Amino acid sequence: MHHNPIIIENLTYAYPDGTQALSKINLAIEAGERVALIGANGSGKSTLQLHLNGIILPQSGRIKIGKWWVDADNLRDIRNFVGLVFQNPDNQLFMPTVWDDVAFGPKNCGCQDEELVQRVQQAMMMVDIDPERYGARNTENLSGGEKKRIAIAGVLAMKPQVLVLDEPSAQLDPRSRRQLIELLKSLSLTQLVATHDLDMALELCDRTVVLSQGQIVYDGATEKIMSNPDFLLQHSLESPLSYSRPYCLVKDFLIN
Amino acid sequence: MLLLHLGAFHLDIDSKQATFWHSLAPRTRLLCALLMVFAIALTPNGRWWTWAIYGLGVLGVVFFSRVTKKVLLKRIAVEFAFIGTVLLGTLFRDGGEVLWSWGILRITTEGLTVLGSVTIKALLSLLTLNILTLTTSVPALLNALTALRVPPLLVATLASMYRYIGVLIKEFQAMRKAAASRNLARNNVWQRFVIGNMMGTLFIRTFERGERVYQAMLARGYQGVPVVEKVPSGGRRDVFVLTFTIILALLGQSIYLPY
Repeated sequence: MHHNPIIIENLTYAYPDGTQALSKINLAIEAGERVALIGANGSGKSTLQLHLNGIILPQSGRIKIGKWWVDADNLRDIRNFVGLVFQNPDNQLFMPTVWDDVAFGPKNCGCQDEELVQRVQQAMMMVDIDPERYGARNTENLSGGEKKRIAIAGVLAMKPQVLVLDEPSAQLDPRSRRQLIELLKSLSLTQLVATHDLDMALELCDRTVVLSQGQIVYDGATEKIMSNPDFLLQHSLESPLSYSRPYCLVKDFLIN
Repeated sequence: MLLLHLGAFHLDIDSKQATFWHSLAPRTRLLCALLMVFAIALTPNGRWWTWAIYGLGVLGVVFFSRVTKKVLLKRIAVEFAFIGTVLLGTLFRDGGEVLWSWGILRITTEGLTVLGSVTIKALLSLLTLNILTLTTSVPALLNALTALRVPPLLVATLASMYRYIGVLIKEFQAMRKAAASRNLARNNVWQRFVIGNMMGTLFIRTFERGERVYQAMLARGYQGVPVVEKVPSGGRRDVFVLTFTIILALLGQSIYLPY
């Protein structure tokens, strides 16, 4: 595993209409780290994530993924190195059957026959989707939680070293959300999780990066930022539920 | 044709059976069906015996593939409702003896021959294609197309059409419900106007979705051309059935050869 899989230096990006989406982003993520990326809607989380896979190339500044600089020549290696899980699984599951969809990435890497079968099976087992039962099923007729896990399997099948997820827990019921959290915990990859689900961020990630209007306004320990409601509110966020119930503290009960 | 039945819960309700027909590779089934359809459709009008022979062949497949006859008939009935309008036009054709006339409408022997021929052609072709789609799942059909060297990009386009048509229908229904929940039922003109707008919205959303799907494809290493898998070559059965179909097609045509 690469020791410093993501280095971003002075990254700036403006949309074609001139809106500044990211300005002067500096970020380094170490191997095996699980980092939460939080921020209001439109704060630039998704734009930043698309850069990590080379879907958007840096306008100014530079990004190093593993040993490659993100530019048009290295896209193939970078996309094998970074797995991107999109927010809406309907956009990511585009093949007719579950098996075909999970096999899409490895096939593009030139994987064939026995190796392909093995990779697809392994990836499906990792997300707890039974290849026998689900393989031939239509990707359309699945529950939200299943779709999400299969979307992740499709990325895992490419054997990436970094997993980048865009709001993975959105639109999931509590049980599917729990399964997802356990799944992400069980994966030893470097992870960058963009989310509004601060309880999940708190549970999964030791480190949190807060984006606000395209800039990094905080980068540090998750617990420290979650216990600072004023700062969160200032950036259109809110303390996680587990922090916002002071009456749950046993100490308070004892005083009363 | 498949689009007509998308509302159906399962398109390929008989694809899990184990019969001789099902043991054939999907591409053999596809090839046989296409051969038969071409043979049926290209036979000149009025060659009843040729179609009798083809009909025997098609009925044989209906029997051997053990498709659910009720569903088969139902689907053909739906499809015939569309073809019926075309058929009606062929009836009032000039030529031959006039059997019946009323104003400018005339039914002639020629018209009857054409009507009969086209009806039989349509019926047999629809039977063949419906058996194919009832017994073969769409992904298997798409694989068959790839195996038959149809350009991979075209197959990929068909595949995503099949994948997303359901999503589009759901999205449209959601919009309709949203409109109904805000009391859309005032009058017909207004309703049509709103539904027209919905279609426009859907169209634009499709573009956006296409963009995102493409990004998701790029993120998983898509290079612009779908990867073609190696497919196993057909067994002895496939060769046999294909040969039999060709012989049947030629046999049907050969009846009228002396004339």
